[in-house]
Amino acid sequence: MGKTFGETAALAPVTLDVADGSFVAIVGPSGCGKSTLFNVIAGLLEPDEGEVRVGGHDVTGTTGHVGYMLQKDLLVPWRTVEDNITMAARLTRGVTPEDRAEARRVASGYGLGEFLRHYPSALSGGMRQRVALMRTLVTHQPLLLLDEPFGALDAQTRLEMQQWLLQVWRETGRTVLFITHDVDESIFLSDRILVMSPRPGRVVADLDNPLPRPRDLGTLIEPEFVTLKAQIMRLLHEGPS
Amino acid sequence: MRRKVLRNVGVPVLSLVLLLFIWQAVIVVFHVQPYIAPRPMAAIRSVTGNWSALWPLVLGTIRETVYGFASGALLGLVLGSVMAKVPVLQRLVYPVLVLSQAVPTIALAAPLVLILGFGIGPKIVIVAWIVFFPVAVNVLDGLSHVDQDLVNLARVYGAPRWRTFLYVEVPASATPIFTGLKIGATYAVGGAIIGELFGSEGASLAIYQEHANTNFNTAAVYGTTMLMTAIGISWFLLVIGVETLATPWQRRSVARRYRWRR
Repeated sequence: MGKTFGETAALAPVTLDVADGSFVAIVGPSGCGKSTLFNVIAGLLEPDEGEVRVGGHDVTGTTGHVGYMLQKDLLVPWRTVEDNITMAARLTRGVTPEDRAEARRVASGYGLGEFLRHYPSALSGGMRQRVALMRTLVTHQPLLLLDEPFGALDAQTRLEMQQWLLQVWRETGRTVLFITHDVDESIFLSDRILVMSPRPGRVVADLDNPLPRPRDLGTLIEPEFVTLKAQIMRLLHEGPS
Repeated sequence: MRRKVLRNVGVPVLSLVLLLFIWQAVIVVFHVQPYIAPRPMAAIRSVTGNWSALWPLVLGTIRETVYGFASGALLGLVLGSVMAKVPVLQRLVYPVLVLSQAVPTIALAAPLVLILGFGIGPKIVIVAWIVFFPVAVNVLDGLSHVDQDLVNLARVYGAPRWRTFLYVEVPASATPIFTGLKIGATYAVGGAIIGELFGSEGASLAIYQEHANTNFNTAAVYGTTMLMTAIGISWFLLVIGVETLATPWQRRSVARRYRWRR
């Protein structure tokens, strides 16, 4: 997969190549154009120059080729959990019995089988984000764009969700681009970390994450983790010099 | 559950009874003569005692209200949606909508009777004229305030615009849409009565009331008013009932087991 962009003002020319099945974290302060980058990849924004290629196909300025999830879960209150999971099908081609069966299977597999008939208002923040991720998974897009998906959760729930996300990622083999401003989160989850700086947004560092998998809470206190965290913090606060 | 029903039905009924009681008290205390204002029971008896003659007139008013409301609501839904989707049309049409509501309904009735005759036509137009405005304005408002992130999510999925409209924007606007319909429902009967006042083929509730007035049958005047009000309230309650059935997520945390799809 290869991607080349250039978005003036919000986003300086960025060239980015993401390997199939990898987990790439993008970390940077607010206003660094992270979300603009995602919107260009998703096709919501046209880049001023350059192109977006997914799986070898030019998809610049078109939609329907990524899974997309925001900090806001965007579950619709008028649909049950099951119907929220099948929302992409409803919005693109109509829901089939297979879609429903899959939604039920995924929800049960990830511990929300009891809540299929519940409306989102009955769920906690963490559960809602789980449903939102399930909804993203059943689109069967190989590339998932996750824009601070756990940013609104409390620390405890966030840790649980991160571990769950790693499990889902391992089991489904998707490529993940993950935006966050939480340095710990970026290291805990990723194979590779892009550090961005604001105005105009640009990638100031592209770091390999050497931490072994599988990761658990112990990972958070390993010396390599701390070294990498110090390096990223320095990049964020002092710039690349 | 029973407590809730008691609170939702019992309390409004109680306030109604209280209103009738105050009415009765005023008549008795101030020695009001029956030809000035009747006691509540006299007004009610004027309706029940004359029910066979009144029933067809009530049906006529209901028919005008239903047809007028249906066409007005439909027009409002279409106009509101079109204005929300085409900003140029919004700037073009919106002033005309406001203008249409500034015209006094009474002033509208006479020319409409000239154009459409004494049949049901002018009544339907007047009701629709009154109903479409709150519906259109609320639909426009609702559709313009749908969460853009949600609309963008649908775009990212590759959703065609009509599916986004149907499955995201319309349900997201359910509350304002029903607000418009409820306001419209409240005023609908009033429009039908004004239409009837300007002439009908055969009898109508408005004309019946006018005759009662000329004959100093004050009880019947009040009775007819109560009847008209009852039609209006029933229509409003019906719209609320539809809203309740159409928006189960606003009261329930779990969907009913019954599903028509399966």
